[in-house]
Amino acid sequence: MPAVLEAADVKKSYQMGKLTVSALRGVTLRIEEGEFVAILGPSGSGKSTLLHVLGGLDRPEYGEVLIDNISLYALNDSRLADVRLHKIGFVFQFFNLLPRLTALKNVELPLTLADVPEHESMKNAKEMLELVGLGDRLNHRPTELSGGEQQRVAIARALINEPKIVLADEPTGNLDTTTGGEIVHLMQRLNKEKEKTFVVVTHDPGVAENADRILSLKDGLIQGEKRGTGDAHS
Amino acid sequence: MRRKQILAMAWENMKLRRFRTSLTTLGVVIGITAIIGLASLGEGFRVTIKQEMEQGFELNVLTVMSGGLLTGVGSYFTDDDVKNISQISGVLLATPLIQKSVGKLYNDGENTTALVLLAINYTEFRQIYPDRLTIEHGDWPQTVKNDTAVLGYNVEHPKEGEAFANTGQNVTIAMSFTSQFSGRYFHNYTFNIAGTLAKSGAAGFINFDDAAFAPLDTVRKIYNTTNSDMIFVRIADSSYSQSVAKAIESRFGGAGEVRVLVPAAFMVQVESILSMLQIFLTGVASIALLVAGLGIMNIMTVSVMERTREIGILKAIGARSRTILTMFLTEAALIGLLGGVVGVPLGYALAQVMGRFLFRFSAEVTPRRSLITGAQTQPLTEVSPILSPEWIFIAMVFAVGVSVIFGWYPARKAAKLEPVQALRYE
Repeated sequence: MPAVLEAADVKKSYQMGKLTVSALRGVTLRIEEGEFVAILGPSGSGKSTLLHVLGGLDRPEYGEVLIDNISLYALNDSRLADVRLHKIGFVFQFFNLLPRLTALKNVELPLTLADVPEHESMKNAKEMLELVGLGDRLNHRPTELSGGEQQRVAIARALINEPKIVLADEPTGNLDTTTGGEIVHLMQRLNKEKEKTFVVVTHDPGVAENADRILSLKDGLIQGEKRGTGDAHS
Repeated sequence: MRRKQILAMAWENMKLRRFRTSLTTLGVVIGITAIIGLASLGEGFRVTIKQEMEQGFELNVLTVMSGGLLTGVGSYFTDDDVKNISQISGVLLATPLIQKSVGKLYNDGENTTALVLLAINYTEFRQIYPDRLTIEHGDWPQTVKNDTAVLGYNVEHPKEGEAFANTGQNVTIAMSFTSQFSGRYFHNYTFNIAGTLAKSGAAGFINFDDAAFAPLDTVRKIYNTTNSDMIFVRIADSSYSQSVAKAIESRFGGAGEVRVLVPAAFMVQVESILSMLQIFLTGVASIALLVAGLGIMNIMTVSVMERTREIGILKAIGARSRTILTMFLTEAALIGLLGGVVGVPLGYALAQVMGRFLFRFSAEVTPRRSLITGAQTQPLTEVSPILSPEWIFIAMVFAVGVSVIFGWYPARKAAKLEPVQALRYE
């Protein structure tokens, strides 16, 4: 399988007052097309930082990140934004939907940014919302939706531009166990049916165990790798 | 991202914060109202004054006098001089004139005073001021007899409602002479009144209402001269003023020998003063718009802070910095545009109101004598503001321009936000 995402010796630190904290101390990893990979680590292990760096949101001090063979941090800011728009989908812990837009408009947003004509973007967004099981919630605003529903909208938004990879940052972190399970299940279904590549960052072993592969992150380094239950399908 | 979409999003955002947007826009409205109001009122004022002055100054008439200290004393110009001047290109007509101060005029025990006796060629002089000298009673002498006179309005009416003499009557004019030995003395001459003038006002330094007119040849005989004091020159257009004045001066050997009064030269000065006044007023009004600009900057800075997270989300899902910048600038521009669209008609309305009442008020508190014409004219009670398309254009560009310039800093700040930081922002 070809690699969708490759990271080589990624290092990143940040300032906390006078202290320099090394969040990532040389992370190397490789994600193949169609994989469902979990990055498991306790809080403070640098998971979120890693995800941001992998997704082109945060420049590392050292190392290289390739998505679809494009070296992200060799690009200027607007090219990098284009890569985020077309090749990466994000799912966040706090959903990060635009509160004044309806579910439909939220999902449409990346298409609008990509200059897809309005009638087409509307149709696609509708289909995508139906796919995540929200066909009857199109015109609801985020405040009128439950947490699980909001996260489904976020997943729909992440997938709408046919990205090469979806990066999810604690997607169940703000949901109860049942709803969280449903969200994981949805992502797995999309992974299998639509052959979408997922990287899920989590501190919850219960979430991670459903993945094909589980990478353990600790102290800014990948400390180990094991097969998850999801591996059985591929 | 397409312009239409950005526009729609900006509009949505403005609607969402309706109250705030309205207040910010109001600032621009006030600024533009002030600018358009004062500019169009100033323009109307300028044009009105200019028209009044053009009438008062008779821009197409130049007056040639002898130069130096002896001005007005003695007869200087020969009829050849007059002929010479009339041949200069741009000159329609040149006519000689003798000006004498006179004392009283008598008619059967009635008397009146003329400040000045103008000895003229009736036919020619009327062509110098075709629009000004209108007859009240009688007529200009059709065939000039040596004893025909015409009286100015104030001479004929020493008191309002009274008439000094009827046309056809003979009156006695006491004409003054200066002698080396006995100083000033008077001789009486009899003239037949051919006509009297309606109110004619003044042109340059001659007030026709206070003048009596007599035939040039007759006065020349009385004073034993073949020359004249002044030459009145009518030119085809006021644009010839300078060239004709130069030509006249050079014919008399330079500017020291003769003086040519060019009313258009006054006009240029007056006009530059009025233009300066208009620019000054508009400049003052612009301050209001600048204050509005600061309001926009202020409110957009707050807006950027409030929307930090939203900006982070947009950037994370692939919006370019440029798109964010354009979004915020579009909002600023829309506020400016809105302010301009409301402010321009409002400003014009304000100018109408001010033009109607301000000058009426000032006319009531100032003496009813216009500085410019020096005679009884209607005081300036109303000024019709003039709103030119140029000013509308300038105001709109200014409104949008100021908004965008002041919106630039907060918009730039929004565009430069790091997506990760923005996402963390609560």
